[in-house]
Amino acid sequence: MEYVLHILTMVCIYAGLAMSLNLTVGFAGQPNVGHAAFFCVGAYTSAILTVGCGASPPLGMACAVLLGSVTGALASAPALRLKGDYLALATFGTGVIIHALAKNWVAMTRGPMGIPGIPSVSFGNVTLSYPSAFCAVAVAYAAVTYTLCHLVVSSPFGLALRAIREDETVAKSTGISSSAHKILVFALSGALAGLAGALFAHHITFIDPSTFTPMDSLVLLLITVFGGMGSLAGSCLAALVLIGFPEILRYLGLPVIVVGPLRQMAYGLLLVMLMLWRPQGLLGKYRWSWCT
Amino acid sequence: MVQQLVVNGLIAGCIYALVALGFALIYRTIRFFHFAHGAVITLGGYAAYTARNALGGPMWVGIVFGALAASVLGLAIDCLVYRPLRRRKAPDLVFLIASFGVFLFVQNAIQLAYGPGILSLKTGPISKGHDLLGAIVTDAQIVVIVTTVLLTAILWALLRFTDLGRRMRAVADDSLGASVIGINPKSVIVASFGIGSALGGVAGALVGWETNLEPTMGLTLILKGIVASIVGGIVSIPGAIMGAILIGLIESLVAWTLGAQWQDLVTFAVLVGFLLLRPTGIAGLARER
Repeated sequence: MEYVLHILTMVCIYAGLAMSLNLTVGFAGQPNVGHAAFFCVGAYTSAILTVGCGASPPLGMACAVLLGSVTGALASAPALRLKGDYLALATFGTGVIIHALAKNWVAMTRGPMGIPGIPSVSFGNVTLSYPSAFCAVAVAYAAVTYTLCHLVVSSPFGLALRAIREDETVAKSTGISSSAHKILVFALSGALAGLAGALFAHHITFIDPSTFTPMDSLVLLLITVFGGMGSLAGSCLAALVLIGFPEILRYLGLPVIVVGPLRQMAYGLLLVMLMLWRPQGLLGKYRWSWCT
Repeated sequence: MVQQLVVNGLIAGCIYALVALGFALIYRTIRFFHFAHGAVITLGGYAAYTARNALGGPMWVGIVFGALAASVLGLAIDCLVYRPLRRRKAPDLVFLIASFGVFLFVQNAIQLAYGPGILSLKTGPISKGHDLLGAIVTDAQIVVIVTTVLLTAILWALLRFTDLGRRMRAVADDSLGASVIGINPKSVIVASFGIGSALGGVAGALVGWETNLEPTMGLTLILKGIVASIVGGIVSIPGAIMGAILIGLIESLVAWTLGAQWQDLVTFAVLVGFLLLRPTGIAGLARER
C-alpha cells in the first residue's frame, strides 16, 4: 500500500511538471527542452532552506515557487530572440547550466553528495510523514495545477498565448505584447515546476543532481508530447502511463543495471514513434504548425 | 604553463572540430539539428574498442572500424527515422525531438551492452610524453592533431574538387535551386550522413584513446560540437573549425582559472550568449531566425 501511494505521489508530481511544461510548449508554442532546470531549482531551494537554515517546509516551498518563477522568467530570455529548433537548443543549454550548478557549486548544494535528511512536509505541529497524508498533498498539488492551468489557458491571457503560437506576427499586430506574454508564461511554468521540485524533495527526503539532468528534461518533454500538445488531461494521463507503468518492470526480476537503460530506451523509442506517427500526442489536437 | 594551456586547448579543440565538422556537414544538407550525432560518436568509440579487443593490431584498425560503424549507424538513422519524416514534410522541431529520441535510445543501448563504467582503448604501459615547445604532449594527442588536420584537408579537397563535393556545396547553398538543375538531393543526403558520421566515429575513437570511453560521453561531445558550429556560423566549414578551436581554448583557460568542473557551464553560457547576441556566429553566414 505504501508503495502504491509512493507511485501515486510521483505520478502527481510529474503530472504537475508535464502540465506546467505544456503551458510553454503546448499552449504558447515555445519549445522548452530544459524544464528539469526549474524542477531542480525548486527542489534545491526548499531542501537548502529546510536542512541548511532550519526553515519550515511551507516556507521552503513558498521560496521554491518564488525562485522557480524567477528562473523561469530569466530562462525566457532566449524565447524573446529565437524560434523553433534554435530556441530548443538554447533552453537545453539552460538545463545544462542549472545541472552544472547543482553538481559543482558544492558550497551551496553539496554537489554530487546530494542533500540527505530533508524533513517531510509539516504545517505547524502537524507533520505529514505518513505516506497517505503526503500523497493527499501531492494529489492536491496536481489538482490545483490543473485548475490553475485550465483557468490560465481559458482566460484572455491564454487566448493571447495561443495566438502567439499560431502566428506571432498577427498576434503582435493585434496589440499583444509577445515578449511580456512569453516572460509571464515561462515564470508561471517555472513556479509550478519549482513547487513540484519542493514536493519531490520533501517526499523522497534526499536529492542529488542525478535527478535533474538534461536527459530528464527530455523525459519531461516526452511526457508532455505523449499526452498531447495543449491538452492538460493528456499530460496527466501521460504521467500516469509513463511514470506508473515502468514500475511494473521492477516485478520482472531484472537487475537494476538493466532496468534503467531499458526504461530510457523505451522512452527514446516512444519519442521517435510519436514523431513518426502521431506528433500531436495522444489527446492533442494541434499539429506543430507554428515551427516551420 | 601558457604553452601547455594552449596545447591542451588545441587538442580538445581538434576533437570538437571533428565533431563539429560532421555535424555541420549534415546540418548543411538537411537543415535541422541532428542531435543523435552524439550517440553516433559514442558508438564509434565503442566499436573501436570492440574491434581492438577482437582483432588486436595497431590503433588505426580500431579507428577505421569506429568510423565504419558510426557511418552505418548514421545512415540507418537517416533511413529509418529522418526519411519517413521528410516524406511527411515534418517541421524542424519534430526532426529535433525525434533526434533526441534516437539519442536516448542508442546511448542506453550502448550502456546496456557495455555497462555504465569507464573503458579505455589504451593498451600497454603508459608512455612518457614528448616535450613540444615547452608543453608535454602524449603520442595519442599527436595522433589527434595529425588526424584532425589530415581529415580536414581531405574533406576540404572533397568539397572543393570532386563532383560529389560540388553537389554537396550546391545543396548546402540552395537545396531547391540544386534540385532544379538536376542534382538529386537524396544522394547528397546519404553522402553527408555517411561522411559526417564517419568523422564522428573517428572523434569517438580518438576520445577513447586519448582519455576514455563512457556511454554518456556523446552528450558532452555533441553539445560542444553544436556550440562550436553555432559560434563559428553553422553552415560554414572553416567557421566550425574556428569555433571548435575557440571553445577548446576557452575550456582550457576555464580549467586553469576556475577548475575543470566549470567547463560545461562556461561553454553553455558562451552558447546562450552567442544565440542571444550574435546568432549568425563568427562567420555570420547562418540564416537569421
